[in-house]
Amino acid sequence: MAETGTRTFSLSVVTPEGAAYEGEAERLVVPGDAGEIGVLARHAPLVAMLRAGEIRIKSGGEWQSFAAGPGYFKVQRDRAIVLVDDAVRAEDIDVEQARREIEEAEALLERAEAGDEEIDRWRVEQRLRHAQNKLEVSGR
Amino acid sequence: MATVQDIKRRVNSVKNTSKITKAMELVAAAKLRKAEARIEALRPYADRMRELMIGTARATPSRGFPLLEERETVGSVTILSLTGDRGLAGGFNAQIIRRSLALEREIRGDGADVRWLVVGKKGRSTLRFRRYDVAHAWVDLTDRPTYADAAAVANAVAELYTEREVDRVVMVYNRYLSALTQRVEVEEVLPIPRKALEEDEDRSAYEIALEGDFIYEPEPDVILGRLLPTYLETSIYRALLESAASEHGARMTAMRNASSNAEDLIDRLTLDMNRARQAAITQELLEVVAGADALTQ
Repeated sequence: MAETGTRTFSLSVVTPEGAAYEGEAERLVVPGDAGEIGVLARHAPLVAMLRAGEIRIKSGGEWQSFAAGPGYFKVQRDRAIVLVDDAVRAEDIDVEQARREIEEAEALLERAEAGDEEIDRWRVEQRLRHAQNKLEVSGR
Repeated sequence: MATVQDIKRRVNSVKNTSKITKAMELVAAAKLRKAEARIEALRPYADRMRELMIGTARATPSRGFPLLEERETVGSVTILSLTGDRGLAGGFNAQIIRRSLALEREIRGDGADVRWLVVGKKGRSTLRFRRYDVAHAWVDLTDRPTYADAAAVANAVAELYTEREVDRVVMVYNRYLSALTQRVEVEEVLPIPRKALEEDEDRSAYEIALEGDFIYEPEPDVILGRLLPTYLETSIYRALLESAASEHGARMTAMRNASSNAEDLIDRLTLDMNRARQAAITQELLEVVAGADALTQ
């Protein structure tokens, strides 16, 4: 912080299941709908929409990475809030599990295609997209 | 009169049942704690999201959004009932069904049609048994509902609404007050009530101005267009969590009552058993004495 001479801002990454990140950050990169948005302290007040993708946070000189679902981003006066429906730390992503989830979702979609009405198509598509996103972020 | 053996058998059976109810009580208590924590965990997200929505609504005229649009004539109403997948939870499921059916009569009385959507196996089976046409039911999620489950339900009701298949959506669910009390609530879901876009407390123009002018990317009306469905998802998610906590609370209480009833029953049966044993001994003594008397005479 003070010793490195970089200004920081407070950042919360919040999901419906609780906070994924809470603390000071030096830099933040979020996947905006129209392209990546980079944020430093003293950013102009901004509200933006986020697509599913990777959120990168630089704190204490180190970068951390999250695979996040779609959501919103708001920054004002050194306070940034990321609201996403899901966020998983890149190190915590289980690649094998993500692969399994993709397979399961694809199998369910096939069954839905064949006319199984018990399956909520939309729900499965979301799950598929989420698993693919996790796989992508972990591969970086 | 029942023999000692008979009563002993009953005592054992009641004891076994009470072991099960005690175990179920403990499981429900553990699940209840987790469910409470999840309600707490949602709060920051829900609050921030609502703040963002209120702020964005201030930056754009909130007209022309399908989810906000109130219909002049209500021809069809969806009742979304949140029940559980399992029973043995006191009046948890029955109360929801009763309230939902009362609501249905009310709506039909006003001349509108009712389309049922149900969460939970109990609600689905009861309504189908009574020959109601359940358009869709989501099951196997009430123990530990996820946000994605809520999103699926929200997506389905939003689609019904925007495609004008229904003109109003109401949700019937158990609000969690404490482990001992749940209250059945009826909540208007669609159209999204206007007050959701208004500040809870009056803030001065100065405070609002302090926040500064935000740049919106994309335009505020596009953002609001996506925030409204998110708000819907969050409302349904909260209700699902409250319902889950209520279910575990109701089951815990019901099982605690069952366990204490079992104890009472065991006490009474033990008393009966001892009486029966005494009676049998007395009877035997009488027989021995009578036999000895007969010999001496």
